[in-house]
Amino acid sequence: MKKLGIFPLLFLLAGCTNSTVLNPKSTTGKEQAFLIWFGLGIMLFVLVIVFFLLARVVINYREKKNGLEEYRPKFISPKKQRKLELIWTIGPIVLLIILAIPTVSTGLKQSPVAEAESTMDGVHIDVTAKQFEWTFIYETDKEKHNILLLPEGEPIILHLSSMDVIHSFWVPELAGKVDLVPGKPIVYRIENPEIGVYKGKCAEYCGVQHANMTFTVKVVAKEEFEEYIAK
Amino acid sequence: MNWSEITVHIPFFGESIFLTIDVFIAWILLIVLVIGAIVYAFRKRKFPVIRDYLYTTNHRKVGTLYMIFGFIFFLRAGLDALFIRLQLALPNNNFMDFQLEKYNETFTSHGTMMIFFAAMPMLIGLMNIAVPLQIGAKDLAFPFLNAVSLWLFVAGGVMFGSAYFLNSSPAIGWTGYAPYSTAVYTPGAATNFYVFGVQISGLGTIFAALNMIVTIVRHRAPGMKLIRMPLFPWASLVTSFLIVIAFTVLAIALYLLMFDRLFGTSFFGGEEGDPVYWQHLFWFFGHPEVYVLALPAFGLFSDIISSFSKKPIFGYPAMVISLALIGFLGFMVWAHHMFTVGLGPMVNTFFAVTTMTIAIPTGIKVFNWIFTMHGGSLKTTTPMLFAIGFIPSFVMGGVTGVMLAVSAADFQLHDTHFVVAHFHYVILASTILGIFAGLYYWYPKITGYQLNETLGKWHFWLFLIGYHMTFLPMHLTGMQGLPRRVYTYGSDEGMTALNFTSTIGASLMGVSIVILVWNIWQTNRQGILVGDDPWDGRTLEWSVASPSPEDTFTPMPFIECTDPFWDAKTKGQKLKTAPNPRPAPIDEHTVLPFLMALAVLVIGFGLIYQSYLTAGIGGVAIFALFIIRSFRDEHTSFHKEGARHE
Repeated sequence: MKKLGIFPLLFLLAGCTNSTVLNPKSTTGKEQAFLIWFGLGIMLFVLVIVFFLLARVVINYREKKNGLEEYRPKFISPKKQRKLELIWTIGPIVLLIILAIPTVSTGLKQSPVAEAESTMDGVHIDVTAKQFEWTFIYETDKEKHNILLLPEGEPIILHLSSMDVIHSFWVPELAGKVDLVPGKPIVYRIENPEIGVYKGKCAEYCGVQHANMTFTVKVVAKEEFEEYIAK
Repeated sequence: MNWSEITVHIPFFGESIFLTIDVFIAWILLIVLVIGAIVYAFRKRKFPVIRDYLYTTNHRKVGTLYMIFGFIFFLRAGLDALFIRLQLALPNNNFMDFQLEKYNETFTSHGTMMIFFAAMPMLIGLMNIAVPLQIGAKDLAFPFLNAVSLWLFVAGGVMFGSAYFLNSSPAIGWTGYAPYSTAVYTPGAATNFYVFGVQISGLGTIFAALNMIVTIVRHRAPGMKLIRMPLFPWASLVTSFLIVIAFTVLAIALYLLMFDRLFGTSFFGGEEGDPVYWQHLFWFFGHPEVYVLALPAFGLFSDIISSFSKKPIFGYPAMVISLALIGFLGFMVWAHHMFTVGLGPMVNTFFAVTTMTIAIPTGIKVFNWIFTMHGGSLKTTTPMLFAIGFIPSFVMGGVTGVMLAVSAADFQLHDTHFVVAHFHYVILASTILGIFAGLYYWYPKITGYQLNETLGKWHFWLFLIGYHMTFLPMHLTGMQGLPRRVYTYGSDEGMTALNFTSTIGASLMGVSIVILVWNIWQTNRQGILVGDDPWDGRTLEWSVASPSPEDTFTPMPFIECTDPFWDAKTKGQKLKTAPNPRPAPIDEHTVLPFLMALAVLVIGFGLIYQSYLTAGIGGVAIFALFIIRSFRDEHTSFHKEGARHE
């Protein structure tokens, strides 16, 4: 049992090191990756305790083949029981409070907001989705399908809306996803993207060609970006 | 060969049905199976048995039927899962015609059938079988209603299942998100099958929950206070309250969607409507539903762990309180499914924190299970193996749940295979392992036989290894950027090996299910009776005969402690009996519940194909059945018969 428990954990950790989401290329993505690591760290601590206790109990208290007549259940004294129960009630509360602090602070900062409430500075881009195509409109009214150019190092303010069903905008390397809901434009902010070419996907099931509703994101130098949108 | 181009045309309700080749093969298989079953029933003279079960209202028989039909739908949904995994085994794969729409249909059927027609019915089946026996009730409070619940579930399941055979499987995901599920984007019969299939079986589920609540509150043996009740009935009670609230909300959501689809309203789409309303309603049902699936398994594992550790459950009051707390908190977390919808920072943060709090009562339960085993004498029977396997697996699913509760982290993990891994980890560990454990544990009470332990252990190990092999890599593919519900991925995305591992794991689970079916077949064929108490149990169900007779608990036991049967055994005494037998619910032999469900099925099909005449005929039929029912009263005939015997 013990071996069985630890093997998958190693497997999990080994795989994390080269994952897209955990090696992000923007400040927003890095904050999110930190939260995933932080959560994983605390939770691995819990897992190790549970696996250790379970393995010990299962190994130590297996039925003895011959000694069944002598078997008397060993009980923990009521005083010790109360102590134990307090430990595993308060312990998790403490751990969760530690996890809740970055959750609340990052969550408040990063959550997408309704368009009316937003007054943010940065490069504004309208993102419109329809079955199965993305349209990106820049501040110069330049319109482009399925290719998104972003300037390096700037705050990007995305204004997202859908023309038909619900879609979801996701570039794993840059930031988490945000839904495009018809009739409810919302605003999402990506901080400080790094130069590179990334794959974007629709992450909310939207119909037959959902899997193929992808787009390409190119993060380029600022001058190149301005030249591009001016054309 | 291009599979999707080979089609067969059949006229149906004024529409022409195109059968793709896989559907055609499925039809042939179905017909062969049905003919095989009829021939088998003839040769073995099984028709009296079939008739008996068709007419029965007895809790064990109804429960058995729940298990049988639930298991059939489980096999069907399991096949869907295998097809999904075969399609995803390799990058840019083309497995038969399971791409694009067919793939979307497959994951929709897989999710919907597993939740509504496999997991829940099998749990309700176990409740039906075990709860009355554990609390000393002679039957459920309303036996007739119980049969109605069963047949409504079967009607809903058969209706949903038939969509595939009519080549109009819904393809909207089990969550049925609007506006994609409205008539604008998915016109036609397919999505209607989802709406009416789930609605009809949901109605049965609500009845079953009401029945369970009344039974547990009103029909416990004398002396069995609520605080002396085993934990499985406790979990069933809390679950039933969750069902009554959550399924009512689902019924409302489905009604609104029905109006949107059939009668031109626009609750979830158009200018006035809002698709986010659907998400609120759906997840207000959907999240408690997760606990509807998990809590009965918690209760069941508590009883099994206590039995095979030869110790009473550790911290019984804490176990009951945490059950209730989980149920209560379950209603305060639904928006964590909607972090990316743009409800705003305050809402996201609130629901992130409430979601985390659920970990506390759940943690209490886990430690209490471990400390129940501490100091005991563990007998590693198959049910106990499933219970021991459940703890680490479930905790692994639980911790990813806490990670997902972190709203900003969820922006990345939401709707990826990480989430797929998370919910399969929790649901398979609790519900499916729980159902298997319950099946092995109570099989003697259902049939009088005990399932083969060697095959049972093979089943357990193969399933557990397959399960971890399938879902552990999905955490990684999700973080690698694989969204859920896509039928393909690129070979350059670095997830080929992980996906292939998942597919091997899924087929291992498939093999383990074959072993289970073989085990059931062999056990029933050999037919070795094992007596009333094969597991050396602690609770009341082991004091009645195996299989449990229709007239249990005469004389009625009198309960003075938890684990009364164990207490009596260790003292070398018989169970104390109560002087006055209690008035018990009265069983009936009637085909009305079956006919009622049949009538509802007709209404459903009429509405699905918008043939209102057909729906009207179904409506008249069910109204007539209500009138017939109101003139029949099993109480009068029961007491007349009693008078004649005297």
